[in-house]
Amino acid sequence: MNHSPISPDDPRLTAYALGEMESEERNQFEQLLQRDAGARAAVEEIRATVHALDTALQAEPLPAPAPGLAEAAIIPGNNPRRRDGAPVPKSTKLLRFPSLYFYISGLAAACFAVFFVYWQQNRPAHEQSKYIEVPLAQAPADKKATGVAMNLPAAPPEGVTVAADAATTRDGEKETDESRVGGQLANQKTAAPAAVARTQTLAGARVAEAPAKLKDFADADTAARRRIAEGSVGAAPKQFSTEAYARLDENPFLAVAQNPLSTFSVDVDTASYANVRRFLNQGQLPPRDAVRVEELVNYFPYHYAPPAEEARADGAPVPFAASLEAASAPWAPEHRLVRIGLKGREVSDAARPAANLVFLLDVSGSMDEPNKLPLVKQSMKLLLGKLRPDDHVAIVVYAGASGLALPSTSVREQAKIAAAIDELTPGGSTNGAMGIQLAYDIAKANFVTGGVNRVILATDGDFNVGVTGEGELTRLIEDKARSGVFLTVLGFGMGNYKDATLQQLADKGNGNYAYIDTAAEARKALVEQAGGTLVTIAKDVKIQVEFNPARVQAYRLIGYEKRLLRSEDFNNDKVDAGEIGAGHTVTALYEIVPVGAPAPDTGGPVDPLKYQKTADRASVDRTGSDELLTLKVRYKEPAGNVSSKLEFPLRDEGRAFADASADFKFAAAVASFGMILRDSPHKGSATFADVTDWARAGLDQDAGGYRAEFIGLVKTARAAMPN
Amino acid sequence: MNTDNQSHESQAFVQAAVARHQAPLLRYATRLFHGDADRARDVVQDTFVKLLGQPPAQIDGHLAEWLYTVCRHRTLDVLRKEGRLKLFEEGQAERLTTAEPRPGAELEHSEARAAMLQLITRLPSNQQEVIRLKFQSGFSYKEISRITSLSVSNVGFLIHTAVSRLRKEMAAQAE
Repeated sequence: MNHSPISPDDPRLTAYALGEMESEERNQFEQLLQRDAGARAAVEEIRATVHALDTALQAEPLPAPAPGLAEAAIIPGNNPRRRDGAPVPKSTKLLRFPSLYFYISGLAAACFAVFFVYWQQNRPAHEQSKYIEVPLAQAPADKKATGVAMNLPAAPPEGVTVAADAATTRDGEKETDESRVGGQLANQKTAAPAAVARTQTLAGARVAEAPAKLKDFADADTAARRRIAEGSVGAAPKQFSTEAYARLDENPFLAVAQNPLSTFSVDVDTASYANVRRFLNQGQLPPRDAVRVEELVNYFPYHYAPPAEEARADGAPVPFAASLEAASAPWAPEHRLVRIGLKGREVSDAARPAANLVFLLDVSGSMDEPNKLPLVKQSMKLLLGKLRPDDHVAIVVYAGASGLALPSTSVREQAKIAAAIDELTPGGSTNGAMGIQLAYDIAKANFVTGGVNRVILATDGDFNVGVTGEGELTRLIEDKARSGVFLTVLGFGMGNYKDATLQQLADKGNGNYAYIDTAAEARKALVEQAGGTLVTIAKDVKIQVEFNPARVQAYRLIGYEKRLLRSEDFNNDKVDAGEIGAGHTVTALYEIVPVGAPAPDTGGPVDPLKYQKTADRASVDRTGSDELLTLKVRYKEPAGNVSSKLEFPLRDEGRAFADASADFKFAAAVASFGMILRDSPHKGSATFADVTDWARAGLDQDAGGYRAEFIGLVKTARAAMPN
Repeated sequence: MNTDNQSHESQAFVQAAVARHQAPLLRYATRLFHGDADRARDVVQDTFVKLLGQPPAQIDGHLAEWLYTVCRHRTLDVLRKEGRLKLFEEGQAERLTTAEPRPGAELEHSEARAAMLQLITRLPSNQQEVIRLKFQSGFSYKEISRITSLSVSNVGFLIHTAVSRLRKEMAAQAE
């Protein structure tokens, strides 16, 4: 038994002092107290404080009940009026017949529910830009069919789909549920009585709001049916996948004349690559929308020069250095390819500031699989091994209710932390929001100024209790991000993996996002790149590129579709953007159509302006510069609120692809791979064989073996692609 | 008719409930509205009106919890509609800080109580609410958890943090 003292932060002290413990827990705790004089003293002090609290609060004056609130006014049957003569709202009269009322409203709800389902079935499947269908259910019709033949019964045409998108409105949510349940005949019967039960409890509250009634019944109805749908779908994982990816349409070519500025937020998330790898290793092609090209490219570390050690004028070190390169695009040789690279400064394990970490772990029933909770535990222990004795770790679990599995404990007691991790067992539904609240509360309570304060969330993203609406979860995490605590999101599992939700959380929560499919990946994210994962060196990092119309006709940003910003957002410090971790590299690729090459399809012509004189191309006041473009970067210090700007111009020396650097070739190969997987209209003449050739050129600088693994993946993809 | 008997029973039940719980409920609601007594009164009235619609047998035994839960929901609805849902905004400084010690002041009982009340009102809203539910309204952790939709652990954590902070601040003041 361990005899380490009970921490003064342990909430059990107060729970015990207040007599809130059940008998078994109380006995166990009393045994611990016997050995711990300090804790006993603390309990006494708590009791004294509570006594003072009690007396003070009891003595607080009660407010005098106002006129009009007299009993007679509340009770119907005696023609209620308030004392001051104003009429009591109509609702009281109807409540004279409560049972009759429930009956009628229940009947109305049942009718509505039946009508609703019938109406839903007859609605044509509508193409909403927010929703994505996992191709599994569409195997015959889809050319990009997954390689695995699924034994599906006559699948409902809409498949089983879930939306996940930042902009989901409440109506959008309703439609999601509809499209999920539509076609699942078996659920109707269970849905109707559930809807009735729900609406009965709502009935008392909705009396006077007649126009709102239908909408409320619909909400209750769809909410109830969503729960049922999730339950029944979860029971048959082999047949349906409820994985959720937000739809992604690629960036098109943009004409420089209309769009001289390209602005976006940097991103170091790598989850998409690991996820794609997971699909390919199972012999399946990934769904198009699971492939985010910038995350594939950014999975690999590149050898960009780190920033110089000397500080800026104001004494703060420059957090990153930029590396630009241009050559011909291998899949379209008449186009140029520009690679923008940012390299964050390194912070050694010894030099980084002390860490205050809260592991927020999903231990719900859905995590009870070998590639989930056991892998989570392994990952957390790997990370624990990288921490220093002056770091602190707390563990919060969430499943149904959320709970503090371990109060903030110094890493000096590493064994205790590891034991707490080992003891976790799965079970319950997933109330992510409660867990998030508790985790941030603890992180803030133990905040280390100038240190690393971070919540590390490990989950499959399948939140299905409590706050589950996209909008609410987003707002919750945005609010939490303001506290100065950063976030790392680690995704696990498959079959119900909610990629879109997790990406949203990381985005809005000042965080980074990685997908952990194997122990090796856990090692990469949490051991090799521990510094980068833990230590943020710059936040709200934005890029804006200005293209020179004398040299560039049109351009296309490859990837980053979810990160685009308006031109005005670049200099607006209130607009949130991505974070860069210590030692991280960020890579972005532009495909450029130079002046003189055949014009690409940039959409329809733009009408000349009626109220402003449009200068035609020849008379635009150009600077006569021979630069291709200028890269501007804005960033804030991790704890700062005012951004600083860096500028880097690029002159294109007209190099051919064959003469480009190894890193350049490898990045191009990965981007091309992503475009082929997505069947992008811009993939050009590239094939998997080409990708392999280009990637091999970058093989000799492959520290972790990741590039070699990539080449293996290309081979697998080639085999999985139907011909 | 059955409904007549029922309504008599309800009336008596509600009358008793109003007599016993109206004032403490008002205090709770006023606190949730940050001192706005008028809105608090409306919400409390709505709560009792709703009570009428409930068969007494269902609520008996946990009447207080039911009242506080309904009152709280109604308050949230009102605040949400007005766009003023900053109810559970936490204080600027979540870390435990101690108050400035008052130089040489001798605190008598009433002054001590007043001082403690002062300190309580300076707690972040979410901690304050939970403290009041525990020590003013006498609910257990489980009941508070149900009323506020927080987990029992979270409730325990908030109460412990608040009590620790109050303990430190009172100790500092007594110097």
